[in-house]
Amino acid sequence: MEKAKVLIIDDDPDITEAMRVVLENKDYIVNNAEGIEQAMGFLKENKPDVIILDVMMDTPQDGFILSRQLKQDVNLKDIPILMLTSVKDKIGIDFESVAGDETWLPVDAYMQKPVKPDVLLEKIAGLLKKP
Amino acid sequence: MESLLKSTRRIQSACWLVRLRWAAIAVLGMATFFASRLLDITLPYRKLYIITGVLFFYNFILYDYIKQLTWKGQKPKESKISGMILFQISTDLFILTSILHFSGGIENPFFLFFVFHMIIASILCSKLQSYIQATLAIFLFGSLVILERFGILWHYELKGFAAHGLYNNPKFIFGTLFVFAGTLYLVVYMTTSIIGQLREQQDSFEEANKMLEEKDMVKNEYVLRLTHDIKGHLAAIESCINIVKNEMIGPLNEKQKDMIGRAYRRTGKCMSFITALLKLTKMNLAGKLEEELFELNQIIANAVTVVQNRATQKSITILSDIGKDVYRVYGEPVLIEETLTNILFNAIRYTPGGGRISLTLREQGAEYVVRVRDTGIGIPPGQEEQIFEEFYRASNARKVERDGTGLGLSFAKQAIEKHGGKIWAQNNPDGGATFSFSLPKAQT
Repeated sequence: MEKAKVLIIDDDPDITEAMRVVLENKDYIVNNAEGIEQAMGFLKENKPDVIILDVMMDTPQDGFILSRQLKQDVNLKDIPILMLTSVKDKIGIDFESVAGDETWLPVDAYMQKPVKPDVLLEKIAGLLKKP
Repeated sequence: MESLLKSTRRIQSACWLVRLRWAAIAVLGMATFFASRLLDITLPYRKLYIITGVLFFYNFILYDYIKQLTWKGQKPKESKISGMILFQISTDLFILTSILHFSGGIENPFFLFFVFHMIIASILCSKLQSYIQATLAIFLFGSLVILERFGILWHYELKGFAAHGLYNNPKFIFGTLFVFAGTLYLVVYMTTSIIGQLREQQDSFEEANKMLEEKDMVKNEYVLRLTHDIKGHLAAIESCINIVKNEMIGPLNEKQKDMIGRAYRRTGKCMSFITALLKLTKMNLAGKLEEELFELNQIIANAVTVVQNRATQKSITILSDIGKDVYRVYGEPVLIEETLTNILFNAIRYTPGGGRISLTLREQGAEYVVRVRDTGIGIPPGQEEQIFEEFYRASNARKVERDGTGLGLSFAKQAIEKHGGKIWAQNNPDGGATFSFSLPKAQT
């Protein structure tokens, strides 16, 4: 079986690295981008099997904007997105209820920081199994 | 605190009365002069000028008395000031009555001026006292008019102004006094009602303000406890990580070293954030500064020494021009040093390598001004004031350093303001920013 490719979009290098170690340990191929522009640049040339997206980068809206952008792109809309968040406490959005809402927050799964390795692996595996 | 505020307000009221009287004296002098020279009215001018002189002297004594009461920041008892205000108003009624006596009695329309005294009394005294003052005014003016009517007091004619003989007309006297008394009581009633409402409002504002301050205090105590607890856990985490990171319990491979190094650095950043928050909150909670006399020059030199290493690492030159004169300030030297260190560290952080930071200390009127000018990234226009708010970080600062605390400048602002100084930031025309703060000179 071919190794699955994961793209991590997060501007925090430490969080990125922590996830990279966990994923690479399970034979995933990991790439990362630090912001919207870098991510879109990477996606022009590559098509990962799953995207991990941090909801809050430069501005609190970055993750939301990018997730909608991805789902509107014909070539990219099939890639499952795992949204990473620590903002529930700060902006009071209950992600469980809005995640998956196509117009509001079109992501396929979400996960709270801090990232627990087994939860991360489980979620990624779950997203890859979906047709 | 509250009674202190009230007593200060009472003193201000007493001063206000004295100032009003200076104006009244000027008006009386001019009116007398005007009437004698231009209106061709016959009056005992010498007596009127003497009254003006006496009034001037009386007001000067009052002025001096208030100055003595408040000499060197003394706070006299509220009852003492209230008594003085009552005395002033009663005396003024008596003086107005005597002026009226020498200028035509009931025939002089200036008796309307009693209304002003009633308004002043209603503003400054209690309701009962105001009604007593109104009664006193009616008694004084009524006695004057009646005594003049029966020839017990001499009636000075306002020749050339009013029809002579009015003072002798019982109907006119009765009618005028009746309306006069009614007007004064009505004025007192209306003014005291309005003032009562205003006072109630003011009291409720003061009450609300006090409650806000108490709430803020509770919040600060809460933050203090919280940060203190977090700091304890963080310190433990840091110590444990440190042992692993320094390979004291076994060697690490490259990947392990990298991961543990990241954890260690992030713990350090969290630690400095918590420490900054703790310092800020502690300062907020401390009511009064523990003041001592210290030399600003020395504090500046200390701060430069603290940051010098980091500047050298980035090849940034610090030019310090603090002169040779010794500048002394009252306050907590630790807070001022911390403030300057924060500003200098910021300047180093946001100035590209090879840049320059110049620091000056100047005397400016009653204060000393410290300026830190850098060749850094500057402040985005419009954010010059916001950067001093708690947790606020300038948009360009985030790009340079992701994890600033956003607390360094709020600490600086609060520390400087606690010392009675000001702090502000500006962009330089040729790039970079200048942070300045002023501190009042120590009175020696």
